[in-house]
Amino acid sequence: MNMKVSPKPALFIAKISNAVFVCVLALTLAFSVSNAPADETCSSPYLARIDGQEEFVYVWTLGVEGLGDGSDKLVTVDVKPGSPNYGKVISATSIGGRNEAHHGGFTDDRRQLWLAGLENSRVFIFDVHTDPAKPQHAKTIDNFAEATGGAIGPHGAYALPGRVLIPCLSNAKDHGGRTALVEYSNDGNYITTNWLPTKDDARSATDAKFADGYGYDARVLPRKNALLTSSFTGWNNYTMDFGKLTADPEAMKHFGSTMIMWDFHARQPKKIFEVPGAPLEIRWAWGDKHNYAFTATALTSKLWLVYLDDRGEWQAKEVATIGDIKGGVLPVDISLSADDRTLFVDCFGDGKCRVFDVSDPHNPKQIYEKQIGRQVNMVSQSWDGKRLYFTSSLLEHWDKKGEDNEQFLRAYGWDGKELKPSFALDFTALKLGRPHHMLFGATKLGANRVVALVP
Amino acid sequence: MNTNRARVLALALTLYLSHMPVAIAADAVLSHDADYDYDPPVAGSYGLPVIKVAPDGAIIDSDAKSLSLRQLTHGRITVLSFIYTRCAAPKACPYAVSVLSQLHALSANDKELATNMRLVSLSFDPDYDTPQRLADYSEAMRDAKSGCEWRFATAKSRAELEPILNGYGQAVDKRSNPNDPQGPLYHILRMFLIDRDGHIRNIYSSATLDPRLVLADVKTLLLEEKRFSKQ
Repeated sequence: MNMKVSPKPALFIAKISNAVFVCVLALTLAFSVSNAPADETCSSPYLARIDGQEEFVYVWTLGVEGLGDGSDKLVTVDVKPGSPNYGKVISATSIGGRNEAHHGGFTDDRRQLWLAGLENSRVFIFDVHTDPAKPQHAKTIDNFAEATGGAIGPHGAYALPGRVLIPCLSNAKDHGGRTALVEYSNDGNYITTNWLPTKDDARSATDAKFADGYGYDARVLPRKNALLTSSFTGWNNYTMDFGKLTADPEAMKHFGSTMIMWDFHARQPKKIFEVPGAPLEIRWAWGDKHNYAFTATALTSKLWLVYLDDRGEWQAKEVATIGDIKGGVLPVDISLSADDRTLFVDCFGDGKCRVFDVSDPHNPKQIYEKQIGRQVNMVSQSWDGKRLYFTSSLLEHWDKKGEDNEQFLRAYGWDGKELKPSFALDFTALKLGRPHHMLFGATKLGANRVVALVP
Repeated sequence: MNTNRARVLALALTLYLSHMPVAIAADAVLSHDADYDYDPPVAGSYGLPVIKVAPDGAIIDSDAKSLSLRQLTHGRITVLSFIYTRCAAPKACPYAVSVLSQLHALSANDKELATNMRLVSLSFDPDYDTPQRLADYSEAMRDAKSGCEWRFATAKSRAELEPILNGYGQAVDKRSNPNDPQGPLYHILRMFLIDRDGHIRNIYSSATLDPRLVLADVKTLLLEEKRFSKQ
């Protein structure tokens, strides 16, 4: 689109004196070196960045019947260097009841943390601005299915300008995998629902023959106006006992095998990729000219790359095997370093974190692996790549049984070659529950500690 | 050169530094750049769901006239931007003003935009951004002879400002260092698209504030109005 503009800006700028130019140029250069973001690498690009090191790790934790109060809770762990409470739980806010606590996300101003429950589709909104060390439960959305026209299984919250995007996993009609992308304003008002395309409702997307309507993650590359989604399974499966599920051939047919590229601004699906085996977390590269994203397929243990080819077309291809070629390691969460060179892949099946050199995204090479526990699910990485945090729980009904059911938060340092333990918290011994999604908190935003404008 | 004039010129230079392509190609066209490297969707090919009613509040404009914000969010398709003139963060207020400046320039040659679009720059720094300072700022930023309506305003006090900021979800904090080179206030960039009936239809931040998208959204609302008027 071409648009004529008036010449006034140029004429106006021409009036600026050289002295002012030099002064402002110096200030601009000073800004560019003073900011040192240490935020989580997996966070939304629309999110206000914390600067310096993260001070808190917020852990959205599933309640366990008979353990503590048995309820889901937001657990805050102090990770501020030098703090007398470093590596300790400093608050745990119970929401009363169990909802299959799973994923969450901040609003773009980082004032609220939205935490979703997969089982009954409740969304809990916490104030993390007033006292970042002690988040307060402020509001609950408990009419999600009704408000959204039948979407259920809210899978976290992804910050967009003034709103959150909630990718869902299921629907209220048959509790299968057909689902939607839902949007709410930051103040909790429902905005809209966009259903994932199916073969019968592909909305002009190419390769409609692959469309399955399933959903899981949703992530944006703003400078390409590109929204990418992945696909998992519906309520019927994620609430079923894992052993029973894997022994049920019919149930195992109901997993997603697609990723979809959307026109983000228009919220219109443009191209559907066949990616077999439940592609889960999406990680866009951060580099200014890096037009690609990674995902891992849970059931087929593969790394996939979605990339812009030389003709300007989005493509998807398998680029590596994770673990044994026969599969079964069940890769779940992945974390890409801020320099786009290192990808950490958590494998629930064998409890290992596998580290890939992805400096050539088309040819990832595994360079390291570490036994984190008997089971491991989520991984969160600091922006400087020096600290990684791992949690253990996948889903209430999918976690391992008996002694293998370790529930922990374990922190490690990464020196580019190996993971070295920093601290560990036993969430069972602490009577907290099953730790899942982690998010970073801080009192500093925008290179500075901030205080309220209006006291 | 008086202090205020120097400040306005310094801000303009920041605009230049952050948006050099716009300044260099002033009489040419806007197209892809590194931050917005795509073809925007065609106006009218997509929908803009209602987000909520645009909040009201008591404000004062650059002529020192008291009015309600509602008067500036109804009757035209409005692009409302929260700013403060002391902001020197390149991707914040200077950028927001540059985008409105581009829209204003475009409207000078587009009668439909000139008569149906309104731009509003609302300062959240009432202590500093007096009506006189806003008037000077507005004079520097726009071509007064043509183009759509572009209003500059603020609140009379922080107390009157607070409900407006809360209503729009515009987070603003004071930096602990009031002499921070990026300005004394920390905030996220917020810009709002508001339809003629006063409903917020889109919210932009620096990562989505592509002037081509804002223009496509304004035209999408104009096309929506035409469709409804035929029904």
